Amino acid sequence: MYQEILLGDEAVARGAIDAGLSAAYAYPGTPATEIYETIDAYAKAHRLPLRRLWSTNEKVALEEGVGVSYSGKRALVSMKHVGLNVAADPFMNVAVAGAHGGLVVAVADDPSMHSSQNEQDSRYFADFAQVPCLEPSNQQECYDFTRQAFDLSEKVGLPVLLRLVTRLAHSRAAVTLGERRAENEASPCPDPGLYTLIPVNARRAYAGLLDKQEALREWSQDHPANALTLAGAGQPGILVSGLAFNYLAEVLGPRLAEHNVLRIGAYPLPVEKIRRLIEGSREVWFLEEGYPFIERYVSALGLFRERPLRGRMTGDLPRAGELSPDVVKRAFGVPGAPSLTVPGLEQVMAPRPPRLCDACPHTDAYAALKEVLAELGPATRVMGDIGCYALGYLPPHQTIHSCLCMGSSIGMAIGAAHAGLRPSMCVIGDGTFTHSGMAPLLDAAHADIDIKVFILDNSIVGMTGGQPTMATDEDLVNLVAGLGVKPEHIRVITPVPQKHAENVGVIREELAHHGLSVIVARRACVTFARTIKELERERKAARR
Amino acid sequence: MAHVLDHAAVDAGFHLKQTEVHGMAQRGGAISAFVRMSEGPVLSDLIPEGQARAVLSVEPLESLRYTKLLHPEGWVVTDVTPLRNIASYPDLSALFEVLFRLPHLVAVDATKLALKSGAMKAQNMVVLGAASSLLPLPAALLEKHVRALFAPKGERLVNANLAAFRMGQAAGAMTAELVRRGVSQAAAARVVPRLDFEAAPVPDRVVAAWTERLRKPDGAAVAAHVLASVDMLPLEATVAATMR
Repeated sequence: MYQEILLGDEAVARGAIDAGLSAAYAYPGTPATEIYETIDAYAKAHRLPLRRLWSTNEKVALEEGVGVSYSGKRALVSMKHVGLNVAADPFMNVAVAGAHGGLVVAVADDPSMHSSQNEQDSRYFADFAQVPCLEPSNQQECYDFTRQAFDLSEKVGLPVLLRLVTRLAHSRAAVTLGERRAENEASPCPDPGLYTLIPVNARRAYAGLLDKQEALREWSQDHPANALTLAGAGQPGILVSGLAFNYLAEVLGPRLAEHNVLRIGAYPLPVEKIRRLIEGSREVWFLEEGYPFIERYVSALGLFRERPLRGRMTGDLPRAGELSPDVVKRAFGVPGAPSLTVPGLEQVMAPRPPRLCDACPHTDAYAALKEVLAELGPATRVMGDIGCYALGYLPPHQTIHSCLCMGSSIGMAIGAAHAGLRPSMCVIGDGTFTHSGMAPLLDAAHADIDIKVFILDNSIVGMTGGQPTMATDEDLVNLVAGLGVKPEHIRVITPVPQKHAENVGVIREELAHHGLSVIVARRACVTFARTIKELERERKAARR
Repeated sequence: MAHVLDHAAVDAGFHLKQTEVHGMAQRGGAISAFVRMSEGPVLSDLIPEGQARAVLSVEPLESLRYTKLLHPEGWVVTDVTPLRNIASYPDLSALFEVLFRLPHLVAVDATKLALKSGAMKAQNMVVLGAASSLLPLPAALLEKHVRALFAPKGERLVNANLAAFRMGQAAGAMTAELVRRGVSQAAAARVVPRLDFEAAPVPDRVVAAWTERLRKPDGAAVAAHVLASVDMLPLEATVAATMR
């Protein structure tokens, strides 16, 4: 037993390794990226025979994890909250098929969307799939709950969702670590029919899932993370889940003991404990980091009238955004502490929004595209995608006009073309392209749809901190050609200031072509230049 | 900075939580970390408004961004070298007007001192050193963890970062001492960023000389004159600074 200072993400990784992990799969996404990176670094440093991949996307990552579980070994699959949308198909279906070796899906949500398009709450997915969920409230629980999750997964034969949030994933504290358990032996699942979900098997498997729910409710009812502390009949009550407990305990301090408190960290919801909390309290507060998931259930969408219930849905807490000690203070009427007033601050406090790094290749690619856009008129739209280049929306570029979800740029451009918006253009990075841009490009190639696809190939998955990309340089061009794009309309340009006029010329040429064009802007990311060179060396060595 | 603080705090037996930002929040350079250390368990990872004891920064505009979290008697410890990567960066003299009016400030030219230490990127160690007297952690413990952090990068970098730390320490100590001896906060804050600190405490007679000079009726003008200097001044420049 010893202590290390770990991020919540790092504690999950170490918990998984110490639980006898055999495999780890992930796709980069803030705030989950560090889970896989920690596993990778630790396995390298300690020469563990741990199989692992940055997978092409979250769906593939989960399917790879299911393969490990099917074979009797333990796998951890990690992603950010919107990544679970991508992995939703295997997630919903492995809940039905079941887990053989322990399968834990660690998902990191992003309340206040510090680095995301939304703040969706992954607890809904666990509830939807009818699988257990563990929600740690501090770094020690990140470690402990991950270890527990694997044991639970094998005991009930289901995948387990481990739910984190940004402020826990990216916060450090000292964690006490335990002994590492050995890996499982390989053993194929005894009943492959459960994984072969043709209707006759699916009905049987689903009935099995429903049968497990009673055991899950009992597990949740008794779980120490679902702790009910009654101060007295008629006292005010608080139901608090996950990280929110820390803010509550700090803000109320000794006053917390005057309340009936139910802490929740394990789902399905412990209904009996919730009933006892409500019956013993004159009113009940709901503090959840994320959506008012529990609040909506308990209040029956506001139809429950037996007690005043207070939370996000009643306006007692802000409907959106992460909680914080100051939000909780305001809700409970605890005066905020005075802070330093700085005369003249407003006049000098300029915002410093995120921007592309100096010498970033995207800047030059956008400069060429911007010049062409100016010629085309103000109604022209360019569909964008997720990555550093999403910053192309902001000044000084203002060259993209959408960013919906991974890989959406190409499909949206197809739709816009079909709707008559011409020319129809889109911008996508090499990482995002391999994640989910190949499928829509195949659509476009199949019918030679008149869209211009700009692939910004900087040879790295950049925004998340420099992870390997699946196809770059000539591999990327070959992939595009393999999808059926005509070679004479696959153009490669170098986004540097000296080639600006030439690049503009290439874009104009392809705009004159009434069919599918792919223009690859190829220049390596400057911030991750060293990583890119190392990855290229590794790739060449692996192919020998 | 957070890494050294974290490890020193745990080494000293404190409980600790420390948050940071990743991803989109990192592009553009405005990164922040919150460090909370306590004898008892730390609950919230976030610092409530009005409860931060200090803001440590390697950029002057950024040093003012989180003053809402600062206790009214809280300190700002910052490098004075601006990073102008936005079109709307304020006029530097306007920024300094606001900055140097803070009641508790240590301002230091961490960029120049880092260059002098031999590690261009050591501004953060200079700032950490300048803040060290404000922390419930002995300097020796902080130095132990500066050493540990840079050890994998070799002896030269360890020594450079320790030198940077000690120069910052000298600057922080001098600021506190000048104020303690009756020099105005505003004057001390303007003079310290222009002094060429060594990786050692400033000798008492030098502090005394500056104290005497700055306490004279034209002390504020002398401080402004020092701040306007393009080059770093030697520590003993009390006479030179006023030869006009």
